[in-house]
Amino acid sequence: MTMLTRRNLLRTAALATASGVLAACGADPVATVPADGVPRGKISVWLHQTKSYDAVFTPLLRKYMQEFGGVDITPLYVPVAQLDAKLLTAFAGDVPPDLFKIGGWTIPGHARKGRLAPIIPKAMGVADEKALIQDYDPHAIGSLSYEGKVYGVPIDYTICYLYYRRDRFIEAGLDPDKPPTTWEEVAEYSKRLTSADGKKVGLQWILGNPQWTLMQLLALVKGKGGGILSADAAKATLATDAGVEALRYYGSLGNAKLSNPLSGFGLFATGEAAMLVSGLFAMDLFPTLNPKLTFGKAFDIAPLPRWDGGQPVAPAYTWGWAVAKQSKLPYTAWHFVDYLQREDVAAKQLKDASLLTPVKGWEKLTGADQKALDIMAAAAPHADFGPQTPVWNEMAKSLTDAADAVAFGKKTPEQAAADFDQAMRITL
Amino acid sequence: MTVSLRLVPPVARVSGKGQRWAEARTGGLLALPAAVYFLVFWLVPFVVAVYLSFTSYDLAGTPEWTGLDNYRRMLGDPGFWNSARVTAAYTVGSVVPSIVLGLAIAVPLSKPGRYNAFLRGLVMIPAAMPLVATSMVWSVIFAEKGLANALIGLVGAAPKPWLTDEGLALWALVIMTTWKHLGLFVIILTAGLQGLPLSVFEAAELDGAGPVRIFYRITLPLLRRTLLFVLVIAVVGAMQSFVPAFLLTKGGPAGATEVLPLYLWATGFGFERMGYASAIAMVLLVAMLLLSLVQFRVLRGGEEG
Amino acid sequence: MKVVRGTLLTLVVAVLLLPVYAMFAVSSASDATDLGGFAFDVSQLGEHVSQLFNQGDFPVYLRNSLILALGIGVLEVIFSSAAGYALAQLRFPGSGVLFALIVGTLSLSPIVVLVPMYLIVKELGWINSYQGMIVPFMMSAFGVFLVRQFALAIPHELLLSARVDGASEFRIFVRIAAPLLRPALLTLFLLQFLAQWDNLLWPLIVANDPGLWPLPVGLAQIQTEYDFSIGLVSTAALITAVPPLVLMFLLQRYYVAGLTLGGVRK
Repeated sequence: MTMLTRRNLLRTAALATASGVLAACGADPVATVPADGVPRGKISVWLHQTKSYDAVFTPLLRKYMQEFGGVDITPLYVPVAQLDAKLLTAFAGDVPPDLFKIGGWTIPGHARKGRLAPIIPKAMGVADEKALIQDYDPHAIGSLSYEGKVYGVPIDYTICYLYYRRDRFIEAGLDPDKPPTTWEEVAEYSKRLTSADGKKVGLQWILGNPQWTLMQLLALVKGKGGGILSADAAKATLATDAGVEALRYYGSLGNAKLSNPLSGFGLFATGEAAMLVSGLFAMDLFPTLNPKLTFGKAFDIAPLPRWDGGQPVAPAYTWGWAVAKQSKLPYTAWHFVDYLQREDVAAKQLKDASLLTPVKGWEKLTGADQKALDIMAAAAPHADFGPQTPVWNEMAKSLTDAADAVAFGKKTPEQAAADFDQAMRITL
Repeated sequence: MTVSLRLVPPVARVSGKGQRWAEARTGGLLALPAAVYFLVFWLVPFVVAVYLSFTSYDLAGTPEWTGLDNYRRMLGDPGFWNSARVTAAYTVGSVVPSIVLGLAIAVPLSKPGRYNAFLRGLVMIPAAMPLVATSMVWSVIFAEKGLANALIGLVGAAPKPWLTDEGLALWALVIMTTWKHLGLFVIILTAGLQGLPLSVFEAAELDGAGPVRIFYRITLPLLRRTLLFVLVIAVVGAMQSFVPAFLLTKGGPAGATEVLPLYLWATGFGFERMGYASAIAMVLLVAMLLLSLVQFRVLRGGEEG
Repeated sequence: MKVVRGTLLTLVVAVLLLPVYAMFAVSSASDATDLGGFAFDVSQLGEHVSQLFNQGDFPVYLRNSLILALGIGVLEVIFSSAAGYALAQLRFPGSGVLFALIVGTLSLSPIVVLVPMYLIVKELGWINSYQGMIVPFMMSAFGVFLVRQFALAIPHELLLSARVDGASEFRIFVRIAAPLLRPALLTLFLLQFLAQWDNLLWPLIVANDPGLWPLPVGLAQIQTEYDFSIGLVSTAALITAVPPLVLMFLLQRYYVAGLTLGGVRK
């Protein structure tokens, strides 16, 4: 077991204990829990929506309102790119929605600013926080906590895979059933997959995107035994051997100048990129981008590589449901969330919308491709959500600046790493 | 601002107390909605923004007074300086070609004729195209096999990675905005050209002056006020330009298109540092006011000369 | 010479219109790999159009955009003409301060006033309403400025003789000044309409009910919903571009004249 995993476990345990103590002290907002335990009132929900998720969510919402006649829920589907801006203005104006779906990485930031209401165990049908955590994948729900308190429950969880084009492998004389397992092999394969004019490449990073940059670099830096931030997230540690080596490797693969309206995803769909780091959702995405891409025939997935002789790292993210501190009906909100998180719903969601809700035992859910689920289950013990910090956005943006600067040859890895650490000194 | 105020020449009025009172009352009434509107929706937010620029405010709780900290921070913030550079390059890079091009099209287009009138109608079409709605199309136009590469291919140039080359991306945005605004500039300039007195041109032609000489010696000086009007719109528009970079490049690649308004947006709504974002906005405001002042001074010079 | 000039001009205009054609071509793309080239598939485009109008809220977005853009355009014309005329032709206390305030806001970054403006709209109880989307943008510094420049050009003798005839100041504005200002006002209406037709952030932040969303917000939502269906999203964009185009052609006669005076008379 790696340091990382041990720490994750320790954190989860500490969190569980702390919440148990708090529950014993009666720190829960008891006043907001109705005596009869029946939810009522009118609440608003903000979320982003895809066609396939809508097909699962809307019927559930209707059914819930039928079952609990006293509840009226108004959903609002917000364009995903603008969800944060809308939420922030609503918070600044003190009129946030009761319930909302947000990226798990933003939970510490919102929690530190006092915007979030902690979970209410009773609304979720459990005795305390500890019991709730046991209902989920511990890493996934652990990533939605701040200073020992759980502020959200996970939905849409994924661990990074290596996607590769079987057709491109065959073209280059590589065995499509033997995808690379180490980063060294990825570099070697990439060399063979790269055309003379550089227009076709092996692995292509998803550039310019803070979230993907973080996950891609996390795998490389952690695999080398380093870290992007120190363990206590108090300072940046990229200007180390591990960080610089990772950036150097990052800059050595792919062609930063390849362009597509859908960035790396589009390049993979056209075949210009033969390998890509991406999440579970891309299984469905690629066939919609290019109908000729059949899973298992034209493209395939593999576990994310590790460094030769190094430890596996599994960069992961999850979205989460969270409730606003200002909500007058947190009990109803959490009660509805619990309704959405049942195991049968998780199974349907996975099957119809390819969204994985990491309820306990998610590894055995059916509906997704078995291979995809198996790879994820094997990686799950090493799941790494990256640094948990209230200034996540700033950190990820600075990291993207550093990584892009190296990829475009504007800075040396040493310089970029030092600049990142310097920028973080001001931020943290 | 004071300069622009002096632009109003005092006009002789009907005298008499009753008349003055009627004028003041009607003027006050007509301007009242504007006064209320600008007070409530611009002056108050502006004062709030000035205040916030001296505070640390993370869009939660109450702002905390930090004096000049935000302004000091700006001095040592490489992101701010990068954005300032990008904005300067973008402003010069988009204002100069759009005015030069605008003139080059407007001069022949202002000549009378049915066909020219028809072309004048077509030239405005891009101005009616919404940018937000069509941003996706623009990313396709600048893609590997897109329109931009097809066009430069006609003159034998190799395809270029428009949006993913740090040297090119800003120019891709310049092309997009120039395309959008060129029509408006052409129409304004055409209108200005058509308003010039014909007799001067006829006299010059009689003196045997060639078209180039006429353009530099007569057309340009006479057109100065119209040109400055276009210049003011173009500069203000370029310095506040946010949408193209926000939609098309998100400031990338590697910060090459991170214009100041975009940096301001990221600071305020991404990093939730509204105090710092307000300070950046104040610096941008002062820079724009100074530039306007210079422009108005030149404009006044035109009126006096 | 004339022929060369005409050909060159035609060529330039043709290049300007190419991106518009590209929109048609992209709108008929069936998937994300089908993006190059200029082939134009009418049946695919038709399919996208019927998909947009038969399912989802596209017609609602269209209606809301018309309400917002027309509403703001009309209000802008009424109030900017009143203020611009008063600032140009009438002496009243505080006019200098008002003009300075209006001109000053031209340089204020809209992003930084977003949060304060939101707080004001919230205090007014206008979150999630048409007035919350319309009123904060019902006037513009540019509009007042443009009308004022234009109103300065109204011959003073005209107003004078009306006053001698005993017409009230208000009547002079409505009956004499306003008709003279018509080209400028229609120009302003067109420019405001175009600007509001493309406004994404403010309606997105203020409206919490999709029934109130205008097209830019709706398009962003369609993009989210349909993930990466480029053809469909571009078709929606293409339809979005039609009303402004129609309006522009209807008003063409006026905006040329409007900008003439606004530009020259400074």
